[in-house]
Amino acid sequence: MPSPSIEQFIESFLTAVDFQDPVEVTPDTELRALPEWDSLAALGIIVMFDVEYGKTIVGDDLKNCNTVTDLYKLLG
Amino acid sequence: MGLSTLHNVRFAGMTSCVPKRVVSNLEDCPPNIRSERQRLVRNIGIQQRRLCASWQCFSDLALDATEKLLDELQWSREEVDALIVVTQSPDYPIPSTAIILQDRLGLSHSTIAFDVNLGCSGYPFGLHLLGSMIASGAVKKGLLLVGDRSASEKDPLFSDAGTATALEFDAAAPPMYFDLNSDGSGHKAIIKPVGGHREPYAFHHSIPTRDEHGELQWPDRLLLDGPAVLSFSTQKIPPAVERTLQYAGVSKDDVDYFVFHQANRMINETIRKKLALPPEKVPSTLADYGNTSGATLPVTMSARLNETLESGTHKLLLSGFGIGLSWGTCILDISGARFPAMMES
Repeated sequence: MPSPSIEQFIESFLTAVDFQDPVEVTPDTELRALPEWDSLAALGIIVMFDVEYGKTIVGDDLKNCNTVTDLYKLLG
Repeated sequence: MGLSTLHNVRFAGMTSCVPKRVVSNLEDCPPNIRSERQRLVRNIGIQQRRLCASWQCFSDLALDATEKLLDELQWSREEVDALIVVTQSPDYPIPSTAIILQDRLGLSHSTIAFDVNLGCSGYPFGLHLLGSMIASGAVKKGLLLVGDRSASEKDPLFSDAGTATALEFDAAAPPMYFDLNSDGSGHKAIIKPVGGHREPYAFHHSIPTRDEHGELQWPDRLLLDGPAVLSFSTQKIPPAVERTLQYAGVSKDDVDYFVFHQANRMINETIRKKLALPPEKVPSTLADYGNTSGATLPVTMSARLNETLESGTHKLLLSGFGIGLSWGTCILDISGARFPAMMES
């Protein structure tokens, strides 16, 4: 599976977290600074990695990520 | 053991029963802001759930389902050789609910009756257990009662139901194929930690604290590690389904319906997509009946397939997974079985 660009990744990220209010996300955005970053959003991200990118991540992988770029790097 | 085959066991019928009381996740539950509730419902796929009345036990629902099923099958009470109850919400910590139901149903003293402590994965395990007793020749007709009372108004996932399934000895019955698995290293992923001998119930367990959303939480509640359960379900179930299909010599096209435990929409859709199954072959009752623990497979068959399964022959793959951790898959043919409509009690 080809790796997405960080821009494509952010687009997928915003779909997966399903936030109610529009929010600007950049590679440097800190996950925990997003007002709606919650357990539902985290589950959405785990599913996104699995279904869209064929990559298995677990809850601890997410806990170790600070920024969107950290998350992107999990694609390996 | 893992993979196994049962011969001479016929699936004779099934009934499901839910409480009358309906709770809406859009109207009656936290979180406090409507748009957040809408987001929750969109992602977990559960719009409404059924809650027992305060007096009602799981066994009351299962009793009503069983009475109806026995009438439909025209089985006499004396004919029932075994009554197996799969639940984690018994009438009492002890004795077994199955033995109480032997008496309430008016079954014979020679009926084998006991409980099995399994939750969301329980249905395929129950089928295999009762089926094995029938295949051995010891039991000619048996009942499997599966379900739980696990719903609460505030928790958006769980819903209550009781179900009854009838199996009987039939030398002409097609084989049933099973794949049954357990992984106790994940026992903390879904756990009610208080009240057993590891942590006996004590005074301080009755004092609630407020969580980050301001909701009161009691220390003896069920704890669920969402990411761990999601990873377990979406990693273990697709290969288990493929393995069982291969073992049975059955292709995905041969299977009429794939019925999965109704966990939540994120989990169920991920499993369906990974297996590349068309939605019309994967019935869902999440929206209307939520997660009824071990009862989701019978509830989904009763609510979505009952008229279809009463005529012709259909091949089904059933997959239950969850607390334990534990997961089981079963492939079976259903022909000429009785499926009364969903009951309310």
